[in-house]
Amino acid sequence: MSASPAVAPDLTSTAWGLLAVVLQCCVLAAVSPILIGVMRQVRYRMEGRIGPGIWQPTRDLLKLARKEPLVAPGVRLQGVMPIAMTGTSLLLVALLPLMSTVTIPLVPDDLFVVVGVLLLGTVAIALLGLDSGTAFGGMGSSRHMTIAALVEPTVLVAVYALSIPVGSSALSAIVDARIAEPVSVVSPVSLLALVALIIVVVAETGRLPVDNPSTHLELTMVHEAMILEASGRDLGWVEFSSWLRLAGLLGLVANLALPWGVAQSMSIGGLAVAIVAIVVKVMLAGAGVAAVEVFLAKVRLFKVPELLAASFVMAFLAVTASYLVV
Amino acid sequence: MLWPQAAAPESAAMAQALALTTGLLLLTAVLQLWRRSLSGSTSLLAIQGAALAGLVITVAIAEGAPELFAVALLVLALKAAIIPMLLHRTALKTGGTLETSHRVHPTAGLLWAALLTTVAFLAARPLVSASPGPLTKVAPVGLALVLLGFLVLLTRHQAVSQLVGFVILDNGIATVAFLTSGGVPLIVEIGVMIDVLFVVVILRVLASQMRSVFGATDLDDLTELRD
Amino acid sequence: MTVVDLGLAAQFLFALAAVVAALASPTAYRSRLAGTLSAGIGVSGAVAGAGALGGTTATWTLAHPLGPAIGPLAPLTLAPDRLGGFFLLVVGLVGTIASVFGIGYAHGAAASRTGWTAYPLFLLGMQLVPAAGDVLTFLGGWELMALASTVLVLSDHAHRPRVRSAGIWYAVMTHLSFALLALGFAVLTSVAGSTRFADIAGMPVGESTSGVAFVLLTLGFVTKAGLVPVHVWLPRAHPEAPSHVSAVMSAAMVKMGVYGVLLTVTRLLPDAARWWGLALLALALPSALYGILQASVASDLKRLLAYSTTENVGLILTAVSVSMLTRHTGTADVSQIALVAALLLVASHAAFKTVLFLAAGAILAATGERDLDRMGGLAGGMPVTAAAFGVAALGAAALPVTSGFVAEWVLLQSLIHGDVRTDRLTTALLPAIVAVVALTAGLALLTFVKAFGIAFLARPRSEGAAAAHEVSFAMRGALVAGAAGVLALGLLPGLTSSGALAALTSGVSSRGAVGAVVAQPVGLGGIELPTLGALLDPTSLLILGLILTVPIVAISWRLALGIPRRAVDLQWGCGGVRVSPRMQYTATSFAEPLVRVFGDTLRPTQQLEVERAKESRFVVVGATYKQRVGDVIEDRVYRPVARLLGRIGDKARTVQNGSIHRYLAFSFAALVALLVVVVR
Repeated sequence: MSASPAVAPDLTSTAWGLLAVVLQCCVLAAVSPILIGVMRQVRYRMEGRIGPGIWQPTRDLLKLARKEPLVAPGVRLQGVMPIAMTGTSLLLVALLPLMSTVTIPLVPDDLFVVVGVLLLGTVAIALLGLDSGTAFGGMGSSRHMTIAALVEPTVLVAVYALSIPVGSSALSAIVDARIAEPVSVVSPVSLLALVALIIVVVAETGRLPVDNPSTHLELTMVHEAMILEASGRDLGWVEFSSWLRLAGLLGLVANLALPWGVAQSMSIGGLAVAIVAIVVKVMLAGAGVAAVEVFLAKVRLFKVPELLAASFVMAFLAVTASYLVV
Repeated sequence: MLWPQAAAPESAAMAQALALTTGLLLLTAVLQLWRRSLSGSTSLLAIQGAALAGLVITVAIAEGAPELFAVALLVLALKAAIIPMLLHRTALKTGGTLETSHRVHPTAGLLWAALLTTVAFLAARPLVSASPGPLTKVAPVGLALVLLGFLVLLTRHQAVSQLVGFVILDNGIATVAFLTSGGVPLIVEIGVMIDVLFVVVILRVLASQMRSVFGATDLDDLTELRD
Repeated sequence: MTVVDLGLAAQFLFALAAVVAALASPTAYRSRLAGTLSAGIGVSGAVAGAGALGGTTATWTLAHPLGPAIGPLAPLTLAPDRLGGFFLLVVGLVGTIASVFGIGYAHGAAASRTGWTAYPLFLLGMQLVPAAGDVLTFLGGWELMALASTVLVLSDHAHRPRVRSAGIWYAVMTHLSFALLALGFAVLTSVAGSTRFADIAGMPVGESTSGVAFVLLTLGFVTKAGLVPVHVWLPRAHPEAPSHVSAVMSAAMVKMGVYGVLLTVTRLLPDAARWWGLALLALALPSALYGILQASVASDLKRLLAYSTTENVGLILTAVSVSMLTRHTGTADVSQIALVAALLLVASHAAFKTVLFLAAGAILAATGERDLDRMGGLAGGMPVTAAAFGVAALGAAALPVTSGFVAEWVLLQSLIHGDVRTDRLTTALLPAIVAVVALTAGLALLTFVKAFGIAFLARPRSEGAAAAHEVSFAMRGALVAGAAGVLALGLLPGLTSSGALAALTSGVSSRGAVGAVVAQPVGLGGIELPTLGALLDPTSLLILGLILTVPIVAISWRLALGIPRRAVDLQWGCGGVRVSPRMQYTATSFAEPLVRVFGDTLRPTQQLEVERAKESRFVVVGATYKQRVGDVIEDRVYRPVARLLGRIGDKARTVQNGSIHRYLAFSFAALVALLVVVVR
């Protein structure tokens, strides 16, 4: 029951799709603070520290929600952009085939649309940074957009590589094909595209080695520099939206690498399995990322293009190989 | 399924192995252009040697040629172990652990690699269409390896990196040979490999000589070598 | 009398009335009268275009104004086909909006008699080009458009010397373009024996002849369209012209170049050789990348927009060349979709670039600034302009749910389905094209975040920016209308793609290349590409996004009831410092990482002067830093050529020393030489 765009858009399938999408958003929204808690905890433990436990980000969020936001003179978007960011993050999570490949017929999970929604969130946070009117905000925003611009070729070429075997850029079709033929996951083309995609996700979500999520060192911060002026519930939304984004993208990579457990139709049992599967996959992926990050240092900003070029070449080779070696 | 398409189930596994080994060959060659550290470079070379050995085994099974297993063992010993190890020790001994030169920026180098690979695939078209088969399909990888080896030779300064480029080039030639003709005769293959080993040893000696004379192994210092 | 007839007739009448109004009316009413009548030209053009796009035909044979001089050639005709209708519609709408804006905007030299006389003629000339049914009318309209726009570019020459140099560059390039076109059409008409497009289209042309004609025409058209390396007039002429004129030039006039290319490759010479597509791609793809790279580092807002035009035209012609390439490999549906993408890009660029240039004009009017580095905080004083610019910037950055996103989506869909493994070169090129289009999109994102964020957000960086106030009603109206267009094109791609498909029926597919419907409306105005199995319904996407945002807004609102925001005096900025607006990032600093990453291509020149105290060289009194990112192509190609020409000119000067006898001797020598040639 793939979301083939040829399906006539009728009311029933729209309702089912909407249900699946909303359920997916709720699960991911609940999971994402815990995911961050797990990632931080893994890092602390591996560094020989005790750590505050996996619930700390959730507690932080609840605390931020009750704090008053401060408004400095000349600031305009501080209230709007966090909500826009959270909205785009939710829409992103809604579009990804995380729990099921059931989609709303009129809103297929086209990868180019997914990338567009992702970029909307990128733009929202960059504007938030510029709006603050401080040196740091502009700095973070400038770096963030530079990285985003350079990531773009890798994203689209990786999308291209993934779309070739199924002849469609719909994510659910890609995941469906992978469930049907698991061997295809380990084909070199697919592996190259996956590695490229992982680097993209790392860059887009500001993880090491592109950006250090826990730094507040002036010269190196990217993400944190943009949100320095956000406070109270605004900061809460900003944090929540970037966590949600991370959870969604990790889930996507996990589902492309290990497509099992994704529901292909709407059934109670299937969905229950899917919820468990996606939670486990996201947590494992997050723990893996955190564990790898322990051994990494942030690279200089001007070394980031090298990393992105490497990922681009992988994506490019994936496309070239799947076309020319036939 | 992509790359390459297979008909029967047993040849599906074969195709998978073929794709994996050639993919690894290509990837290790491309990544060479990114890495600056010489020890990283030699480990990539070792992985490439292992991939080549894997490819030879695959070809041996596919063609039903048992003598190729011996070649595979030889390849594994020489290209995955001995040559990389020798190079690694040379790198350590001569003190050059980083390829510091920037004749081509790594970013540009990587983009060149993408371009050269495409060129290789395009250029190998007559080769592939001359005798279509699962083996010749992936033969362009060998050609790409040759080009990438040349690129490494051209862009690197350190003597050890030059050797790495040379070995990649040799691996490329071997790949093409194995994939197109099911392997050159055993004796030729052994001969070539011994040659490569000799070259490595000689250059290793040369590199230590250079180091003791010039205090560096940057080949750009050799421009004064003329009458 | 059809609607097309009506529109065609009305545009002449309106143009006449506007010229009369410009010449006769007193200064106080001139802008209002001439502007309104110019808008009438645009509206009638749009009406005629819509009619022609809908399939209504009209053939207007103009009286022989040149009389017997035309002789055996066909009379001048206006006969817009569907493709011409599409462009007529686009040009007409852009002209209407820009004219309305001009009512409030034109001042000084732009509001003079000359300015308002040239403007309607410019619009008229531009609307004659896509309506033309024969070569001579086409070239006549083209020349009218070129001359009138040159006058408009030069309108402010008395006050700013840079305008003169821009005018010279523009005049030279535009006449180069005209000369190439005249030659190209001469080749075609000499083969076909007729100047009518319909006759030329039906005529089998030899391979080498058509190749020569293609090269000449394409070079002429891309010079107008502003592709690299003949883009140099764009970043000079667009910033110096009055803003409503630059909007028309950028959003509509360069599209005539695109129309010309489409006319050539789909109608006049439909049997393209394979190398044509490759040649066009070789021009278009680097243009897209180079244009946006220059735009991303520019800090003059109008220069930025001009370079972005080069990028967009590059993308449009990339789509056209992809269509030409895939047509050769036998995937007719993909080829058709690529053309649809090209037309969607045309419409989208026309919409958002109009708004962006007009908004730049509004900023110029409100603050007197064109330099982004001196703007900031304009959203406070000019909320309507800010909103319109924001929407258009989203369009330019190709983000959902704007026009740019839909167009690039269709282009990308055609690219990823364009593989034909029989043609390896095309197949190998496709991923490279995807990569370049993607990098272009990424840089466009950065460019327009920079343009919007630096200009409208944060705090004012100059006194002019601090004193900004919202512009007049006519100007705001034009901005809002344009922004609504950007959103409408983005939300209802089904409609536009149907229009684009209709426009293409006068070209290739009339030869029966495509059987199936390649694009059709679906859902709430969405677009479906049935042969590729792809679907995009931006309205549904927007609704889903809004549904998901509702709980966020509700929670925020609930929390805000209990805990309101608190105003504080200081930014935090890592320590609650009293930050001066000068400490903010500027457009230049925003693009600095990019300048470093692409240093090899952009070749910036930097200059750092440190002034030290007399007492100790360790005490720095002040420092000045200058960075200039020039146009590499201008510096490396045009300057040497100009220098060479200058040197030849100097040499040639010795030939003419002013002596009347020497001139007589030249004439005598010429006469003798002529006689010798004739006698032989």
